[in-house]
Amino acid sequence: MLRGVLGKTFRLVGYTIQYGCIAHCAFEYVGGVVMCSGPSMEPTIQNSDIVFAENLSRHFYGIQRGDIVIAKSPSDPKSNICKRVIGLEGDKILTNSPSDFFKSHSYVPTGHVWLEGDNLQNSTDSRYYGPIPYGLIRGRIFFKIWPLSDFGFLRESPNGHRFSDD
Amino acid sequence: MVASRRLTAATRTGRRLAPPRQGFGQIGRGHKITTYPFSPRKNGRKGMAQSQGWVRRYFKAFCKGFFVAVPVAVTFLDRVACVARVEGASMQPSLNPGGSQSSDVVLLNHWKVRNFEVQRGDIVSLVSPKNPEQKIIKRVIALEGDIVKTMGHKNRYVKVPRGHIWVEGDHHGHSFDSNSFGPVSLGLLHAHATHILWPPERWQKLESVLPPERLLVQSAAE
Repeated sequence: MLRGVLGKTFRLVGYTIQYGCIAHCAFEYVGGVVMCSGPSMEPTIQNSDIVFAENLSRHFYGIQRGDIVIAKSPSDPKSNICKRVIGLEGDKILTNSPSDFFKSHSYVPTGHVWLEGDNLQNSTDSRYYGPIPYGLIRGRIFFKIWPLSDFGFLRESPNGHRFSDD
Repeated sequence: MVASRRLTAATRTGRRLAPPRQGFGQIGRGHKITTYPFSPRKNGRKGMAQSQGWVRRYFKAFCKGFFVAVPVAVTFLDRVACVARVEGASMQPSLNPGGSQSSDVVLLNHWKVRNFEVQRGDIVSLVSPKNPEQKIIKRVIALEGDIVKTMGHKNRYVKVPRGHIWVEGDHHGHSFDSNSFGPVSLGLLHAHATHILWPPERWQKLESVLPPERLLVQSAAE
């Protein structure tokens, strides 16, 4: 009786470990489903939308300007942020607000990216904490699955004027 | 009709097949019941049936092993511990004192930093902020909130922001560390190097000790 229970427990633990490892490999190397919260990516991604993120681009260094990425927050490594890539290393970025008269530029250093939310008025992003290292990027969001009214690939940035290709 | 077919089958292979017994003749050893035409005693058919079964069984076992062993191994190496060779002279004399002749091999412990908890003096490996394909190994000098007196940075004193750490190599001047690229985000933390595993004469536990000349100007939590 005891041996039966023990055997069943071991088998359960074994299966849990096995499926946990498969889940870890899937999330780490392929992709997964993510729920976004916060208003900083409106109107592209609303609060409590469910999106599909893939991690292959990160491993093959295929992240490009205009991609929406999930990254670890630079000031809190346990939380994630979801922003759009405005500039890659070497790009010139406008860092002034539209009300300034003089335009000020800065260059994105090597190994870093410049992130901005689509909702420029309500987004804490690289304009606040500077460019973030590429190593903090976790994955790329490319597909929205909830709400169903907005099902499909994600739109382009509404702030096209922020991109400067120099 | 059946008997004649049986006889022809037997004469074709050149062996005499005993008729199958029924009923209580089966008790004990009895004869093996053979069903026609898939008799395993026929040589050609035996070879083909066995090789097909062998390939399928091997394939099934391989798939089962693959899907169990590979994710478990990958998860272990990513989340628990792995081993790495140290290259470069930036951590001399703690690591690689022999220079390029003998590289140390260290044990990297991921499990200890799963909650991003590090102490001052730990030797850690992190993703390089300047090159995401490379991992660098340095010592933690200061945690968030500390004020560091820098050696070669553009500012003389730096306060480490929230969620960041200040890392330096032990071999000052030959090290690409926070004195070059500033404080690094904790999100880049990869693992904590706990032991030197190779060469065998350098087998030791790495101590978390701050070099005395790098004592902090001001610590955050006192």
